Amino acid sequence: MKKIVVPGEIVTEQRKRTGEHVYLQNGKIYSDVIGITDTESMNASVVALKGFYIPKENDIVIGLIAQELFSGFLVDIGSLYLSFLSKDSVREPLKRGSIVSVKVIKVNELNEADVGDTRVFYGGEIFSICSIKIPRVIGKNASMLDALKRGTNCNIIIGRNGRIWAKGGDTELLFRALKKIEKEAHMPNLTNKIGEFLAKERK
Amino acid sequence: MATEKEEKKVYVNKKGLRLDGRKIDETRPIKITAGVLKNAKGSCYLEWGQNKVLVSVQGPREALPKHTANPLKALLKFTYRMAAFSVPDRKNPKPGRRDIEISKVCGEALEKSVFLEKYPNSQIEVWAQILDSNAGSRAAALTAASVALADAGIPMKDLVTSVAVGRADGKIIVDLNKDEEDAPDAVDMPIALMSNSKEIVLLQMDGLFSKKEFDEAFEVAVKSIEGIKKLQIKALKEKYESKEFEQASKLSEKALPKQPSNLLEKDLPKQKVDQKTGQKKEEKKAEVQ
Repeated sequence: MKKIVVPGEIVTEQRKRTGEHVYLQNGKIYSDVIGITDTESMNASVVALKGFYIPKENDIVIGLIAQELFSGFLVDIGSLYLSFLSKDSVREPLKRGSIVSVKVIKVNELNEADVGDTRVFYGGEIFSICSIKIPRVIGKNASMLDALKRGTNCNIIIGRNGRIWAKGGDTELLFRALKKIEKEAHMPNLTNKIGEFLAKERK
Repeated sequence: MATEKEEKKVYVNKKGLRLDGRKIDETRPIKITAGVLKNAKGSCYLEWGQNKVLVSVQGPREALPKHTANPLKALLKFTYRMAAFSVPDRKNPKPGRRDIEISKVCGEALEKSVFLEKYPNSQIEVWAQILDSNAGSRAAALTAASVALADAGIPMKDLVTSVAVGRADGKIIVDLNKDEEDAPDAVDMPIALMSNSKEIVLLQMDGLFSKKEFDEAFEVAVKSIEGIKKLQIKALKEKYESKEFEQASKLSEKALPKQPSNLLEKDLPKQKVDQKTGQKKEEKKAEVQ
């Protein structure tokens, strides 16, 4: 059974392998964040309902060029700090305010990231949602992403930091669907619901 | 004579009721709402009797000014401010001695509950604005701040819950209001706890308790803190819990094949033994080499 837990609430008193967002104290496993836990799972872990983006290696993220330096750029990827992008890997002319998709190459122990593999966006729109809801936007085997693409005919690129780029098709409908996903991310059977929503709203 | 009679108030009457009709171990009505501000990472609005507090949380983000950053853990900056209209006479909005002190003690109380070491070099800002006050506003601010932190999704050990206990007219009472705080023999003691570990994170005392009175007051405080914590948890869960969610989670329970829960416990020690023997074997090999 799934249940909602808050920080300091017991996830399980059994001995289980600990996953994310839990900690051990006096032989009991507690949650450290507001989230959902599955009481029948083999692992004791909590899926957070709220949170923020901490970069991980190989994440594809959408960023904004915030500053140009002598040998590179500082990119705002919505993390705790600005990330460094070396000019070696950039071929397109970039300036302050350009929007790029980058890959996180290296993260240090202070959660500062270096990025590379730049791709510049020409046109399109960007929508921001909470970064921890991104797995729901993609879905199991990208089922949700497929439903969104089919329902709106948009080209979509999803950044792990919660920014979603879209071009062509019905972007207005896409953003409404994304808002719905963000709001109901903890509910089950969401892909079907969104599929129905898109079919209904589509003109 | 007439003035003397007026001055002598009965703080707890024969029925055991206080000036405002509460029992001695009863808090004022509390209303907590989480996630009220759109542009903050986390927020909370709390009404505690006449006290009204609005708390917002920002961060973790880059610690500024940069020389304050700690490369081992995050900073928690708590700001307690009273609005100019929060008290009967206008309060000068400039932060005074009292605001700075409360900011410090509340910040230190919350530091104990947050896993700060996960976000080195960063800062978490908590802004508590008192919109209306009538004694016990630091307890209200701290209670609301811990809900706001949890609402922001910041990893915490436990929720911090706070309440003030004290004495008026020789009786130990919970959650004093302004009239009771002004009693001639009044003692005011705000306490904040993390109720899982019973770890005290804030304890101040205005006035003097005897040791016996202190023990009694502490016991009463712990009891009422448990009640307040339930309200905090309810406020946090309210947004997500719905009939639909409950039905769905029950459905998933039926759909899944039931696993005997003791199966897990049996498996785990075996694994451990295997690991141990494995380790021993490796050690022996090393010796042979």
